Amino acid sequence: MAKIVIPVGPQHPALKEPANFTLLLEGERVAASNVALGYNHRGVEKACEERTYIQDMYLLERICGICSHSHVTCFIQAVEEIAGLEVPKRAQYIRTLIAELERIHSHFLWLGVAGHELGFDTLFMYSWRDREVVMDILAMLTGNRVNYGMNTIGGVRRDFTKEQFEQISRAVDILEERTKYYIQIALTETTLLARLKDVGKLSKEDAIRFGATGPTARAAGVNKDVRRDDPYAAYSELEFNVITDDNADVFGRTIVRVKELMESYKIIRQIIKQIPDGPITVKAPRKIPAGEAISRYEAPRGEDVHFVKANGTDKPDRVKVRAPTLANLAAITHMINGGYLADVPIVIAAIDPCFSCTDRMLVTDVKTGDEKLFDWQGLRNYSINWYKERNIDFSKIKL
Amino acid sequence: MEKEEALVKKIKGKFNFLEGECKVARIRRIWIEITKDKIMEFIKYMKNDLGFNFLCTITGLDCIEYYQVIYHFANDDGIIINLKLNVPKDNPKIESIIGIFEGSIFYERELKDMLGIEVIGLPQGRRYPLPDDWPIDQHPLRKEWKPSGSPAVKEA
Amino acid sequence: MFKKLINWARIKSPWIIHFNTGACNACDIEILAALTPKFDLERFGILLKGTQRHADVLVCSGPVTLQTRDRLKRIYDQMAEPKFVVAVGSCASSGGVFKGCYNVSGGIDSVIPVNAYIPGCPVRPEAIIDGVVKLLNSLKN
Repeated sequence: MAKIVIPVGPQHPALKEPANFTLLLEGERVAASNVALGYNHRGVEKACEERTYIQDMYLLERICGICSHSHVTCFIQAVEEIAGLEVPKRAQYIRTLIAELERIHSHFLWLGVAGHELGFDTLFMYSWRDREVVMDILAMLTGNRVNYGMNTIGGVRRDFTKEQFEQISRAVDILEERTKYYIQIALTETTLLARLKDVGKLSKEDAIRFGATGPTARAAGVNKDVRRDDPYAAYSELEFNVITDDNADVFGRTIVRVKELMESYKIIRQIIKQIPDGPITVKAPRKIPAGEAISRYEAPRGEDVHFVKANGTDKPDRVKVRAPTLANLAAITHMINGGYLADVPIVIAAIDPCFSCTDRMLVTDVKTGDEKLFDWQGLRNYSINWYKERNIDFSKIKL
Repeated sequence: MEKEEALVKKIKGKFNFLEGECKVARIRRIWIEITKDKIMEFIKYMKNDLGFNFLCTITGLDCIEYYQVIYHFANDDGIIINLKLNVPKDNPKIESIIGIFEGSIFYERELKDMLGIEVIGLPQGRRYPLPDDWPIDQHPLRKEWKPSGSPAVKEA
Repeated sequence: MFKKLINWARIKSPWIIHFNTGACNACDIEILAALTPKFDLERFGILLKGTQRHADVLVCSGPVTLQTRDRLKRIYDQMAEPKFVVAVGSCASSGGVFKGCYNVSGGIDSVIPVNAYIPGCPVRPEAIIDGVVKLLNSLKN
C-alpha cells in the first residue's frame, strides 16, 4: 500500500491556530503521526519578568482568548500564596462565578466548533447563538466579553448587585433548557453518533500514561478534577459532580462537556444562594516577598498550572505557565494513529486545542514523488465528503 | 496535613540523605531538593510506590549562579511534590525522564530551547517552542538575555 | 463604466479571508461570532472564504509572531488586486500587550500595508461590522 506523508497544519476554523502535524498514511488510515508546535510562541514568560505583578495580570489574561480568567486566577493564587494573603470569602465566590461562566462559554464554543468540523453547521450556529446569552452576562458583569479584568492581588475588583445575580439566574435557566436539548441530540442523533463513536480512542491507561487532563482524560474514565482534588477559590464549599465517561473516544468527550455544563449551572445557583457578604479585597503589598508557589486550576480544557517565584521586588523572578492543551497534545498522535484520515479534524478538535497559528499541509506521494498543497479547509472538506460517500451527511439534518 | 507528613516520613525512611531536604510548605504541597545522581531512582520510586503518576510540568529557572530544574508531580489526592535539581552552568546536562513519563517531551524540549540545558536521551524532533530559524545559541529565559537580541525586535 | 460595475460588485459582496498571526484567539472568535445569527455579517454580502485567491479583504488578527511573518507576506502577495487589509484588534494594530516581546514583530503594518484598523481587546462583533462597513464605504470612491 502506498505510504503518503501528510504534514497537516491545522487551521482550526474558530481558533485559526497552527501546529504542524505530520501524518504517514497507509491507504486511508493514519499509520504514524508527529506533532510540532510553537507557532504561537510570543515570549510571555520572559515578558512577565520585566513587568510588575499587576501588569502581568493583564498580560496573562491575553495568553488565551477563551480561558483568560483561568490564567489570571491561577497566577494570582500563586502570588497570594507567596505573599501570605488571605483572600476574602466573597471575592473567592465571585472568582468562582466568573470561572464557571467562562467554562460555560468555552464548552458552547467547543460544541459549535465540533459541529463545524463535522460539517454540521446548524449545530455551530445554534450553539454560538446560545453562547451569546453567556457573553451578554459576562459583558454586563465585567464590561467585556473576554479579558474581564476582574482579579487583583488580594481579591476582585468589582462587586455584584442582587439585580445582577437575578439576571444571571434567569440566563442560567435559559441555558439549562438549551443544554438539555443538546444532550438529547448528542445521545440520539445517529449521524452524530456515527461520526463520534469509536473515533480518537484513548484508553484510561494511555490517558494516564501520556498525562492527559480535563475532559479528554475524564472521557476515558480518569476521575480527576482540580476543583475537587486540589480545591481553590470557593470550590471546597460547593457541591458538584465530576463527570466521567467510559467511552474513551470523541463521543465520550462530547458527553463529558455537555454534562459539565449542567454541573456549572448547579454551581452557579449555589454561588448565588450562598455568597457571603463582606469585603472583596485585602490590601496587597506592591513588593511580593521572596518565595515560590505552584498553583493549579481546572480550566475548561483541563488542568492549568502556574509556578511563580518572587524575589522581594515588584516584578516576579520567574513565571511558568503550562496550559492544558500542552498536556493533552502528548496524547494526540496516539489518538490519530490507526484511525482514518477523515477523522483527523474532529479528533484534533475534540481535545479542544488552544494553540494558535495557521499552516499548510504538504501531501507527498512516496511512490511518484508528487507533492500537493492542502490546507485545513481542504482536509475538513475531504473529511466531510468522505463521510458523505458513506451516507453520513449532516446537511440534511434540521435542528 | 497527615497525608503529606506521612509521605515525607516514608520518603525520608527510604532515602535517608533527603533528611533536611523535604519540606511540607502547606496542605498538598511538598518541596524536595535532590541531586543528579539520585534523581532517577527517586522519580521511579515516586511514581511506582507513592502513586505520583501525573507530571504537571517541568520548570527551568536561571538562578544566576546555577540553573535549576523543578519537576512538579501530582497524585490522586491532589498533593504536589516539587522536586528541585540544581544544574551547574558550566555543565548544564540532565537526563531525560521520558522513559518514566512519556508526557515530559514538550517540557524537556522547552528547557533546551529556552535555557540551553542539554537533556540527554530526548528523542530526535523539531525544536519547541522557538521557531526553526531562531539562532541556536540564543536562550531567551537566561537572565542575561535581553529582547534586543531577538531577531524580531532587530528587524522591527 | 466597467470599473464602476466591478467596484459596485466589490462593495456589495466582499469576500474575506481570515488569518491569525499568533493571536490569543479572542479576536478570531469575535470575527466568527460576527457571522453567527445574532450579528450576521453575511447580510452585508460578506462571505468568509477559505483561500486568499478568491478574497478581496484580508482580515488579520494577532501581533505577528516570527513564525507567521513569511506566511502573512505570502498570503498578501497571492491576493489579486485590488486588495484590502483590515487589522482586527489591538495586537494587530500595534502589537498590543505583546509589543516588545522577543518573538513578536508588532502590528500587521510591520509586514504589510493596512487599510483599516479596528482597535479593541478583543474587538466586539459590532465593532468588526462597523469597521468593515466603513472600509466598504471608503471604497465607493
